[in-house]
Amino acid sequence: MSAPFYKYGLFGDEISLVIAFLIGIGFGFFLERAGFGNARKLAAQFYFYDMTVFKVMFTAIVTAMIGLYYLSVLGFVDLSLVYVSPTFLLPQVVGGLILGVGFAVGGYCPGTSAVSAATGRLDGMVFLLGIVAGIFFFGEVFPAIESFYTATPMGSVTLPQLFGVPYGLILFLVVLMALGGFLLAGWAEKKFAHLRPE
Amino acid sequence: MSTPSSAITDHALHKERPYWHPYAAGIGLGLVLLFSFVIAGRGLGASGAFSSLVATVVHAVAPEHAQNNAFYGEYLGDGSKSSLLDWLVFEVIGVFAGGFLSGALAGRLRITVEKGPHISTGGRLTLAFLGGFIMGVGAKLARGCTSGQGLTGGALLSVGGWAFMLCVFAGAYATAYFVRRQWI
Amino acid sequence: MKNPLTNLNWKQRIALLALVLGLIALFAGNPYRGGHVTLDIKELALMVQNERDHVSVEQLADWIIQGRSGYRLLDLRSEKEFDEYHVPSAESVPLSSLSDYPIQRNEKIILYSEGGIHASQAWFLLAAKGYKHVYLLTGGLDEWREKILFPAIPENATAEQQAQFTKLKEVSRFFGGTPQTGAASGQTAVKREMPKMPMPSASAPPVPSGGKKKKEGC
Repeated sequence: MSAPFYKYGLFGDEISLVIAFLIGIGFGFFLERAGFGNARKLAAQFYFYDMTVFKVMFTAIVTAMIGLYYLSVLGFVDLSLVYVSPTFLLPQVVGGLILGVGFAVGGYCPGTSAVSAATGRLDGMVFLLGIVAGIFFFGEVFPAIESFYTATPMGSVTLPQLFGVPYGLILFLVVLMALGGFLLAGWAEKKFAHLRPE
Repeated sequence: MSTPSSAITDHALHKERPYWHPYAAGIGLGLVLLFSFVIAGRGLGASGAFSSLVATVVHAVAPEHAQNNAFYGEYLGDGSKSSLLDWLVFEVIGVFAGGFLSGALAGRLRITVEKGPHISTGGRLTLAFLGGFIMGVGAKLARGCTSGQGLTGGALLSVGGWAFMLCVFAGAYATAYFVRRQWI
Repeated sequence: MKNPLTNLNWKQRIALLALVLGLIALFAGNPYRGGHVTLDIKELALMVQNERDHVSVEQLADWIIQGRSGYRLLDLRSEKEFDEYHVPSAESVPLSSLSDYPIQRNEKIILYSEGGIHASQAWFLLAAKGYKHVYLLTGGLDEWREKILFPAIPENATAEQQAQFTKLKEVSRFFGGTPQTGAASGQTAVKREMPKMPMPSASAPPVPSGGKKKKEGC
């Protein structure tokens, strides 16, 4: 098996757009299944009484990470052909903080707001408008911040590469961290259950 | 227009099916992400599609301004085909479709505003727009959002992805206290 | 004796599975297997024998003049040699960096080196990695010089050969070369000046792939 299939020329650009659509359907489907079309549930993460965001995100990360690792080790997937977005440490740190603020204020992230809008939530639709406005604003001021935008480039670097340790070690640590996190999350949900809407 | 006392009670009244267990939904999501890696050689994303949209609109209104701008230029391509014929754009259209499908199957389709009991609808919508605006800026600075940098970057053990995720949680938790009126 | 595993609920079972897989990963090795390949000797030998992967210098010259962009031309020599002169539209990929160089599986690649030996060896590397659309410029840069930049015509040429040579002269001038006219072979050494870089070329495709922007960010 030669994967990633697209990178091996198994299908062309037009079909890849159809595939993108299908993958998107899966993505949106499970986001809604988890309840992420609901801002209140999403925001609950930050008041500790509903840790679904953490649980879903890290379960997904661990699942994909383990799956990809084993498919690569067994030779089914050429990991070097899977695109890793280049790291620009400083703007990503600052961008992450800003995005976190936006998350708490607005109650969604881009993907979940799409799901929310698709299921009829007006706040989701308004949030989407906000995103578009924010991106437009960013585009207009871009020339002024371009040097910050491209600061601290590190290339497509992974954690094992950065720390010079085997991939499997980081994988194991991530699994441990996730499992530990899930235990803590369960504990936090009980402790803050009094904040739950009744 | 009635003010819903609690969004969750309302859901129960409307006979909506309960959400999936987080771990089950997470595994489903993880498998979709894995499929994306294996089939397309790339992960998921969301904010990039909106960037393409903005760039296309700006280009339609003011082509030269768009082309001279390094940011819009990144999303405009070489002009040989529409910049909306883009992987992420199609993926996000799928997200809308998938979300709708799941909502329809579970009886969770409703025109409503999700909010806590201590804020007005207008207040909520204002904050939703503001939050979206802030998030748009943050997502572009970070070159992605929780789907692209968080989920995808996380699964690929990208340094930037993990740093980004930590900061998202930090920023959100830090802000949560100040907007608690909106949610609880 | 009751199996303790049956006492676990489904969540705990999945957690245990993840833990086990994580532990195994500590010993399972490097997932980046791109550096190691398995070879099908017979298949490779057949590919070599068929010679369907050769591209002549005349063909390449034609494609460049026409401005075709459905291929990538890789120059396997050192960067210094590349800067001195390279075939227009070529990319500099010193042999040692070939395995890391981003090449899509479905792209058409034409390799050349000075004479063709390194190109042949590089062809083998790429074929072993499973790239199916790799071609060799027969004769390499040597042949390019001989036939395209400095085409010569024998003294007693037939009318047909002369007509052919007229076309060759045009091609040669396009690439900044000097057609060799004149009888004695002694003359040829004097007139062989390599064209200066950068070279003119009819709408040469921008490096790397012709016009197509591969954006894979999120």
